[in-house]
Amino acid sequence: MNIDPRKFISINGIDRRDFLVRGSGLVSAAFLAACDSRGPKAADKLLKYAERKNLPIERKLFRHTSMDVVQGGAHDAGNKLPSYFISRTVPVWDESVRGKWALEVSGLVGNPVRLTIEDLQRLPQVSNRVNHYCVEGWTAVETWTGVPFTELARLVRADPQALYVDFQSFDDDYHESWDIESAMHKQTVVAYGLDGKMLEPAHGAPARVYSPVKLGYKNTKYLTRVVFMPKMNGGYWSDAGYEWYGGT
Amino acid sequence: MVGSGLRIFNAYPAFARKGEMFCCYPFEHKAIPAWLTFGGWLGGARHWHFAMMWVLVVNGLVYLTFIYLHGEWRDLVPRKGDIRDSWQMVKFYTFKRKDHPHQGKHNALQKAAYFLLPIFGALAVVTGIAIWKPVELAPLTAVFGGYVWARYWHFIAMLAIVILSVVHVFMVFAVDPYSITSMITGNYDPSLSPEARNARPFYHLFPRRARPAAAPPPPAST
Repeated sequence: MNIDPRKFISINGIDRRDFLVRGSGLVSAAFLAACDSRGPKAADKLLKYAERKNLPIERKLFRHTSMDVVQGGAHDAGNKLPSYFISRTVPVWDESVRGKWALEVSGLVGNPVRLTIEDLQRLPQVSNRVNHYCVEGWTAVETWTGVPFTELARLVRADPQALYVDFQSFDDDYHESWDIESAMHKQTVVAYGLDGKMLEPAHGAPARVYSPVKLGYKNTKYLTRVVFMPKMNGGYWSDAGYEWYGGT
Repeated sequence: MVGSGLRIFNAYPAFARKGEMFCCYPFEHKAIPAWLTFGGWLGGARHWHFAMMWVLVVNGLVYLTFIYLHGEWRDLVPRKGDIRDSWQMVKFYTFKRKDHPHQGKHNALQKAAYFLLPIFGALAVVTGIAIWKPVELAPLTAVFGGYVWARYWHFIAMLAIVILSVVHVFMVFAVDPYSITSMITGNYDPSLSPEARNARPFYHLFPRRARPAAAPPPPAST
């Protein structure tokens, strides 16, 4: 029996022209529906896969010798530096309720410590005038004063197996974990000073981690604990869907 | 890439460093309309952007390799007289010149567009890398004038690509719809070319007269 392909097509009532017209209609409908959407659900796996594959590339690009340099002529952001926190109100450490604030540095370390703000100030101090890179796309120049993270790592005798560090805070459950190499970058500090003054509650008082090698959301404010870990531990915004690495 | 990029841009629809002004963008702090964006939220758009960037790069490399191996890059590189020819095309499209300038495979304006597109594509990729890694690849970011300016050039490259693409598609339908066939099959009927039809946008879309039928020669009877 002979099957005439043209007949077969006409039985279905769709010829090539119809197919093109309907097809393009469908494509444009799908396109319009996709606007401002998160995209098809099925793509989530692909996007996760891409993030997993991008991570080792980003970590390979990391250099301890790459320094953030503020451009000549750049102005300090001063009070234009936005203030973010996840609590309803500005998180403030209430000594009458929680006792004196101290930073716990623990985990895979030989010598876990609790450091009061005075202890921190007695440790070697640096001031870095650097860029702040926000995930949103803005930058701000500020001077951060504090203890180089490498000094803290030396003080607590961090274990070589501690490949990650978790920075935890008293801003609800906010925390972000980092790869150890970013934490050990020369410009990473546990900061208690901003622009020559003690850190204010709006920007993470009493102390926060600050590094230009990480996007803003990785730089936990309102620090309570710094934990050296063998494994990564996600983070507030990382778990909410931003990239875990968040490196610059 | 454009949609997710605009969604990312909308998280801070401005270029100025905090505490500064930016000279060269008239719409600072005005968000792009949501229907032009893709990704739903900043994090989602970033994931799309950082996944699809590889598609853009591979696509660009395949294209460049292809036109290099096929020698078709020769149809696109600027040559002496291209500026003059472009001006003649502008005059033709604005009715200041009656007949379609003589052209090769592409007219001079088209050629300029196809030459510029991969350049803006490469600029988009390289400025994108510069704002992705402004610390680790600081020397690259510095080439574009630092993070703020690299972000600006990234935006401009995107604009240029969008404009070139929109004009290209518009011109396909308004001047040379017959080329759609040739894009798919590779065959091109020169008698339907814009030059043969003396076609401006929406003018002479149809061939001026029926093609002379290949009539058999008259019988040589005397």
